[in-house]
Amino acid sequence: MRVLLVEDNELIAHGIKAGLRAHQFTVDSVASAAMAEAALATLNCDVLILDLGLPDEDGMKLLPRLRAKGIVLPILVLTARDSVKDKVMALQRGADDYLLKPFDLDELVARLHALQRRVAGRCVDLIEDGPLKLNPATGNVSLNEQPIALSRREMALLAALMQAKDRILSAEQLKDRLYDFSEEIESNALNVHIYHLRRKLGGEIIETIRGMGYRYGGVKQ
Amino acid sequence: MSLRLRLLLLIGVSLSLLWGGVTAWTLYNLDRQIRNTLDQRLSMSAQMVAGLISQNAAAWDAAAKGNKRDTLLLPAGKGLACQISSLRGEVLARTAHTHPDATRSEALGFTDLTINKEQWRSYTTEAFGLRVTTADRLSERNQMLHDVLFATTLPFMVALVGSLLLLWFGVKQGLLPLEKIRQALAGQAPLTLSPLSTQHIPKDLLPLVSSLNQLLSRIEQTLERERQLTSDAAHELRTPLTAIKIHLQVARITEGEEAKTALDYAEESVARLQHTLTQLLTLAQIEGDFCWDDGQSTSANEILKLAIRDAAPQQPERVQLGAIATAQLALPQALAVTALRNLLDNALNYSPANSVVRVETQRLESAMCFSIIDQGPGLQPAELALVTQRFWRRSSTKGSGLGLSIVAAIAKRFNGKLELSQHENGGIKATLHLPIQR
Repeated sequence: MRVLLVEDNELIAHGIKAGLRAHQFTVDSVASAAMAEAALATLNCDVLILDLGLPDEDGMKLLPRLRAKGIVLPILVLTARDSVKDKVMALQRGADDYLLKPFDLDELVARLHALQRRVAGRCVDLIEDGPLKLNPATGNVSLNEQPIALSRREMALLAALMQAKDRILSAEQLKDRLYDFSEEIESNALNVHIYHLRRKLGGEIIETIRGMGYRYGGVKQ
Repeated sequence: MSLRLRLLLLIGVSLSLLWGGVTAWTLYNLDRQIRNTLDQRLSMSAQMVAGLISQNAAAWDAAAKGNKRDTLLLPAGKGLACQISSLRGEVLARTAHTHPDATRSEALGFTDLTINKEQWRSYTTEAFGLRVTTADRLSERNQMLHDVLFATTLPFMVALVGSLLLLWFGVKQGLLPLEKIRQALAGQAPLTLSPLSTQHIPKDLLPLVSSLNQLLSRIEQTLERERQLTSDAAHELRTPLTAIKIHLQVARITEGEEAKTALDYAEESVARLQHTLTQLLTLAQIEGDFCWDDGQSTSANEILKLAIRDAAPQQPERVQLGAIATAQLALPQALAVTALRNLLDNALNYSPANSVVRVETQRLESAMCFSIIDQGPGLQPAELALVTQRFWRRSSTKGSGLGLSIVAAIAKRFNGKLELSQHENGGIKATLHLPIQR
């Protein structure tokens, strides 16, 4: 899952990035409202984590503007403002969740997964296709009840394709799910991960649509 | 004692004493007058009887000389007696149904007698060879006296009770506006103070109510500021706490270099939290009644040296000192050093690395003026007005936002002055006035 973090405190941003990466997330962070808007315009991400006290603009003003622009991705507000008034206002202005600082990393991770599965129209964390089961929260993948060991990126790639179902995802979209801006991507990195997935789950798991991208192909029954 | 009780007691006791005194005086006079009048009537009736007899003296003489005459019995009113006797003591006539002793008098004039436990007052006169005695029963007399006195006292008493009732009612009505103000004050919610209504308030209470309203609005502002401060302080403490918590959690779930980095960040966050807490504590002590007096002599020269050593321990050459005026400062050394160090810290941190910060001093009549000029980017006029506010800072990650608040608080406590202005070279010129000993 790719997360965009908007947080101006460097120390907290570092901590959240390290914590979420340890939980298999791909995280980018920006430190101002203007940078958040710019990033959202170019980036494919699944969830936005928004701090309210930003240096250039209050997050409370940014929220309705993002929604007015038609940005529908789930937004989790992460702030030290603990009054009921602030919580209500943020939720009314387009936030989907509100978490108070200081928070527990596990809780943040669980809430992000909950937001994600709600967007995907599921009510449990498990993504299922016949004998293939994937749990994005725990990182467990099993085929015919047999656990399959996947790396973090293979896992993210499989989850993105399974969630997209029959839609075709471009190579760029898939790379966005796997790497944040700070990471260097080798040109054939995506192909390597696809190769490994096919080796572990069967050749038909990912279809290559020439000139367009890739699609989830299912497993042999 | 309540105002109402005071008024009631003061006016009530005065009224009662006045009315009571007047009543007592009237009663005393009336009593004396009535007794005199009754005595006069007694003597007049005796003389009248003697006068009547003198009109027909011959008949009485004959009667007086006749030896075998029975005593003539006269009809008489209740409690009134009369006796006519010869000078030899022979009773010629007397009122019936009265005890003969009542009118047996030896001396002329008024006499008081007690017969069969009844008191009589008699008057005896002699005329035309006859002795006439008239007597009043005192119980009759006293009964009449009581009736008169009661009839006189009653209106006074009614008037007194009426006045007291009117007084009670009047005081209650008169103090009603005060009672309304009291109720309005007692009904104030502890967290929101609203001004009192000035409608239906008498003219002489308006100054009081408007003073109260001014006080209420000042308290409300102070409360609001404190609330804001508490909320800001909570935010300022939560931010480093959040960083500490997240990095510790990351350190727990990662290994090797990553875990070490997380612990380093956690430690840095602890240092920031500690800095903020120390600054908050210093500010609370300056603004509170903490005693700072360490008894040390504080020369401006020494304070500057200490402040520069604290602010720029690595690069003392970045601080360029102008001529130092000599003066002894009239405030504790620790605070003077803190104030100057905070100003130097800001100047050094918010200007380009290795740029020079200039410090100038000037001795004024009652204060020492320290000017600190940096070569940083300066501040907008709107920002200049905000810099001494607690927790204000330009970027949210650098500093605690309390440094200049502390300088301003020190200046305020010791009647000094802190001014920040835009210097012509682009940087900030901070001017701090501190009082000097005279």
